[in-house]
Parts: sequence; C-alpha cells; structure tokens
Amino acid sequence: MAELGRAALAVTLGLSLYALLAGGYAAARGRRRLALSARNALIAAFGSTLVATAVLVTGFLRDDFSLAYVAGHSSRALPTPYKISALWGGQEGSLLLWLLILTGYSALAVWLGRNRLRDLLVWVTPVLAGICVGFAWLLVGVSSPFEVIGAPLDGRGLNPSLQNPYMVAHPVLLYLGYVGLAVPFAFAMGSLLSGRIDERWLVATRRWTIVAWTALGIGQLLGAHWAYEEVGWGGYYAWDPVENAALMPWLAATAYLHSVMIQEKRGMLKVWNVVLVSLAFCLSLFGTFLTRSGIVSSIHSFTQSSIGAWFLGFIVIAVIFATTMICLRLPLLRATAKLESLISREATFLYNNLLLVALCLTILWGTSWPILSEAVRGEAVVVGRPYYDFFLRIFGLPLLLLMGIGPLVAWRRASLRGLSRTFAWSAGAAVASGVVLIALGAGSSVPGLIAYTFAAFVSTTIVAEFARGTSARRALTGEAIPRAFSGLVARNRRRYGGYVVHAAIVLLAIGIAGSSAYDSVAEGRLARGETLSVAGYDLTYRTLSERDGANATEIRAVLDVRRDGDSLGTVSAGKNAYAVEQQVSNEVGIRSDLLTGEDLFVIAEQVYDDGSVQFRVFVKPLVNLIWLAGLVFLLGSLITLWPDAREQRRLVERYARAARSNRRAASTP
Amino acid sequence: MIALSVAAVLAVFLLYTSLAGGGTPSVSPGELGATSGEVSLAGRVVGTPTGDPHGAGLRFTLQDFEGAHKQSVAVLYKGSVPDLFKPGRDVVVTGTLRDGTFVTAPGSMITKCPSKYQGAETPA
Repeated sequence: MAELGRAALAVTLGLSLYALLAGGYAAARGRRRLALSARNALIAAFGSTLVATAVLVTGFLRDDFSLAYVAGHSSRALPTPYKISALWGGQEGSLLLWLLILTGYSALAVWLGRNRLRDLLVWVTPVLAGICVGFAWLLVGVSSPFEVIGAPLDGRGLNPSLQNPYMVAHPVLLYLGYVGLAVPFAFAMGSLLSGRIDERWLVATRRWTIVAWTALGIGQLLGAHWAYEEVGWGGYYAWDPVENAALMPWLAATAYLHSVMIQEKRGMLKVWNVVLVSLAFCLSLFGTFLTRSGIVSSIHSFTQSSIGAWFLGFIVIAVIFATTMICLRLPLLRATAKLESLISREATFLYNNLLLVALCLTILWGTSWPILSEAVRGEAVVVGRPYYDFFLRIFGLPLLLLMGIGPLVAWRRASLRGLSRTFAWSAGAAVASGVVLIALGAGSSVPGLIAYTFAAFVSTTIVAEFARGTSARRALTGEAIPRAFSGLVARNRRRYGGYVVHAAIVLLAIGIAGSSAYDSVAEGRLARGETLSVAGYDLTYRTLSERDGANATEIRAVLDVRRDGDSLGTVSAGKNAYAVEQQVSNEVGIRSDLLTGEDLFVIAEQVYDDGSVQFRVFVKPLVNLIWLAGLVFLLGSLITLWPDAREQRRLVERYARAARSNRRAASTP
Repeated sequence: MIALSVAAVLAVFLLYTSLAGGGTPSVSPGELGATSGEVSLAGRVVGTPTGDPHGAGLRFTLQDFEGAHKQSVAVLYKGSVPDLFKPGRDVVVTGTLRDGTFVTAPGSMITKCPSKYQGAETPA
C-alpha cells in the first residue's frame, strides 16, 4: 500500500512539473494544444493526489501501523471519525491535505474557466502548477507520509486535544482558506504574465476569494471556540503565533475584498490590489511555515526541522516572483481615475484598507519579532498580549466605525452636510447608547465603551440601510414588506450580503469587548459543601465522581449554581486522563445564558487527594455573541456567493468588453 | 501612491514602537545568569515536579534544550498549570531570577510541546 501512495505522489509531482514547464512554454510561444495538455496534466494531478490520500486514509482505517505516520497518530482504540481526522493530525498528513486541496482547487479553477477565460488560463496553469510542484516535492523528497516501519502492536494515539469535533473541522477549514488564496494569486500573476491586464482576473476570482476568506474566518472562529471549550484556560484567543498565522492572511484578504470594489467601479488601486492578493498568499504560506517549522517557539528548533528551510525558500520565491511581476508590469497598471476627494466612498475604502493592512503588518511584526531580534541583536525578544491589544484597539476601533460610514458615502465626492444628514440617526443612536451604558456602569473600560457605542452606530446604519432599501422597493413595486425585503436582497446580493457580514463583525466586536473588558474572575480551593461567589453567582461544590470513558478516565466535580438566590441547576468540571497518550486534559464546565449571552466558565484546576478541588471561575458577559457572529458571517457570505443570473450576464458583457479593448490595444502599436 | 506611502510611514511607526516599546527577552536556562529583570524563560522540564501550584508553589527544574553542557535552573511557579505540563515537555515561563531560583509571575506558564507544531493547528 505504501508503495502505491508513494508512487501516486511521484506521479503528482511529475504531472505538476510537466504542467509548469510545458504550460509555461506553451503560454510563452502561444502553443494552444500544448497549453491544453498542461491543463489536463494539472487536472490529472488532482486524481493522483486523491489516490495518495485514499491510501493514507485506508491505512488509518485498517490500523496499518507499518506506516510510521499512522503508528504515530492513531491507535486501535481511537474512534473511527478521529482515525480519519488523524490524517491531518501531523505534519506529513497536513501537507498531503494541503496538496489535495491545492490540486482540487486548481483543477476546478481551470475547468470552470475553460471557455470564457481560455487566454488567461494559459498563464494561470503554470503558476498553479508551480505551487503544486513545491508541495508535491515536500511530500516526495523531504517529508513523506508513507515511511514504513516495523509495525508496532498499537499506535501512539492521537493528541487528546485533537480528539473532538472542532479539530476534525478546524484544520480543514483553515486549509481550505489558506490554499484558496492561491487561486486569486495565480490569476493575478497569470494576468500580469500575459501582459493583458484587464479586470477579468478580479471578477473571475471574486468568488474564490470569498470562499477562501469565509473558510478561513469560520475556521478561526471554530479554533477559538475549541480553545474556549477544550483547552480550558478561560479565553479564546491568545495571540499565539499559530493563531496569528491564520488571522494575518484573513485580514489581508479582507482588505483585498474591499479594494477590489474600487478597482471594479473606478479603475483605481490596480497595483495595490495585486500587492494585496500577493500579500495574502505569501502570508498563507508564512502561516503554514509558522505552524510547521516551530521557528517561533525557538529559533533553534528551526534548524532541526527539515521542512522549515524549504518553506522559507518557497516564501522567498513567491515574494520575489510577485515583486518582479508587479515591477515589470507597473506601466500597465496605471489607474484610470484619480481620487477626487478625501470624503468619498473610494477614500473611506482606502482608509479601511490602510487600517486593515496596518493591523495585519503589526501582527506580522509582533509574530516575527523574536526571530528578527535574535537575528539582529542575538537575543530573542517576545512581545506579549499588551502589544497586540494596544494595536487591536488603535486600528480595530476606527475600522469598526468606518464599517458604518464607508458603505453610505457617495462615490467620487461627498459633502459634509449630506453626510451629517445621512448619519444623524446613527450618531444619535451611538450617543444615546453611550449615555445609557455609562449609566449602567460600562464606563469602567473606555475601549469597551467605545466599542459598544461604535457598534451601536454601525448596527443602526445597517438596519437603516435595509429599511430604506425595502421601503424604496415597496414604493417602486407595491410589494408587501417581506417580499420587498427578500427581493431587495436577492437583487443586490453583494451589497446586502456585505451588510450582513458587517453585522456579524459588529456582533464579534460586542462579544470581544464584553468578554474581555467586562469579565470577572474568582478562584479558590473548595472542600465539599463550600461556596465560591463571583459576579452574582454562588457556586457550591457538591460531589466528585470518576468513571471510565471510551479511551480516558473522567473525573468530574459537580457544583450547584445559584444566582441572586435562584437555583440555576448544576455545572460540572474536571479532568480526563488518557491512558494510551499518557496525558491529562482539562474539561471545563460552561453554563451559557442564551438570553443575555453570558457564560459561567468553571475550571477544576487541581483535584486533591482529600477530595477538595481548586476552582477557577470566570463570568464572561456577551461572549456567546462571538459564536453567533460566526453563523451570521456564514449567512452573509452565502448571500453574496449565491449564484445570480443577472450578475452572470453582466460578467459575460464585461468579458466581451475587456476582450475587445485587449484586441484594440494589441492592434495599436 | 498615497496608500503605499502611508503604509511605509506605518511601517516606520511599527519599527519605532517595537524597538522602544520593549517586550520581554526570551532566554534559555544557560543564558539566565547574564540577565537582570523580567525575562521569558524557555526550557525542558526535567525531574519530578513537587509542591502545590495553588498553595506554596510548584517546584521543578528547567534545562537547556541543547548544547554540550546542558545547564538547568530551579523554578518556583504559582497559578494555573497547562494540561501539557509534565517532565520532558518544553515550557515557557515569565519571571525573574532571585538567589538562584527563577520566581515566575503567577499563571505565566505556556507549554510548547514539541509535538505542538508538529501536530495540526493547536493554538495555545
């Protein structure tokens, strides 16, 4: 079996190499049949990668411990779903998943565009193939998932913290996001290579970018939820390098999604967009590099990991390639319009872009600071939470406010008077909510208060936009409100889907502000019958139980929860001891109040022999809005992604127009 | 272009804040002797930890990851202990060296288990 897997990966490497070389040659010389053959090779590479993945999955399902990777990441007792997810439980398998998704996306992209984008795809194929070659080489030559060993009786098992549904979905979603950013990058580079720079690559990859961006966003929220429920230290985001690794490309992609609109509508920011899409892709490579190389935890481990140097090489190649292409084609990327006023839609989008990129670079700077400072000063210096929190406030709060302003400012030029009319209601709502919040005692945290008032501003704007649009449509068509509303959204999916995503970000901001600026904590060692009080809750420790689960011994302390004298039932917290993996994991107890979005979060830090338990209890207001934001975010993305016949027609016209202007440009010397 | 120039200004700003704004030096047990003030100490747990992290404090020894003469230092720690803490694991604690014992800031321990970056994304 291992031979089949190895052979399949070698075939993938060969096919992608062929697609790169033949495709590049065909594109440069205009050989149409050869280009077609390169394209087919790229599609076939997906098939061979699928075979390799199937072999490895089969190895897991059949407990084939002669495969070193299976022996290292699975055991006989592991439940079947986790045997499948163990595929991405380690480095080699994760890389294989990367390659599978990459070849899958590539095949789909070149197949979907085969008719309308043929001349562009000729150049996109070798770029995608080049990325495939890199990853296929890692799997064939450097870090093979098909190493064979003398089979042990049982595997070493899967890291217990990976044994839960989140860790089945979270890595896959992140990879769908990371790898998805390769597609717009390849189209941008293909467009630059072809020398015919029109807006087609932008329009063609809009959906790809949104899919990748949505997957990355949801993947991160799942990761945060996992950290919150499973890791059990009482938070959901710790500015860990591995977490930042996913946040950075998401921020760059968010900036890109916005600036693309400026190029589509006004022909501006062409260079900027190519830079952003390259940045997003390079950051996704960097993210994979961070998670795989371990460089950030210690620069020393970098030299031990064979894969790190290769990744660094890939990133350098990608950066050099993108920079060279942008510089070479700079004359063709001139803007067709100028910024007319600093108060206009274009300008607010530009501010949004600057803030997003600034936040992204800040995080990049902080994440790579230990490496840089060790290289420069010989001493690794780590920046902590205060650094990130500071910049999140400095850049994040204005971004939140802009989200309410940007979509309503007129294109080209807006008057201040017009603006004050547009935003009178929202500003009123923001001030009113600020006053009410101060009265309620929210003034204890200034950033939290600002976040809340800005959130009130933005949400009023969004609601007003929906209301205005619906009533305008009613006036036009005479439809009833629900029909007018759905018609409105259906006819302007991008716009109203975007508003829904904005609403999700507002929820996220409220959730983060509530749970981080207004949380309470208490801890103490309790004997049975003793009580701990925090933020209006009284927790009384009742019993301690121990039972054998599927692959772990589960110890649970049960507490009675009362608030203001009313009994709210019980909550239990404890620890699981995993026998095969020889590890203990915290199992926190969470009681969510669905009405207020508040969580009571109980950690059993330590269980003593005398039956007493050290507890740590958090009360986190509004934290559930963060998870709700994920659902709303998904809904908004789906609205914008939903196929739209009218948009398709406009797209066809656009392509035709672009092709005509290309021909004109080609015929004039 | 406006965008690029403003981005450049921001980059300088970042450089400035990072250089001036401090951050904590990250050292190994062997390098600890040369430091003063608060540092972040990364090393491997050796021997058997003793004591109660929620009482008088947990005592354990951290050793250099590598080198011909691996040096080690005694650590006193209070506060939450991550699940992954155990002998043989790599941890990072923040604190100061006092009379030969590294006294940590409460709850500052982060585990960096070697399999962490090898495994799938397992933040924090």
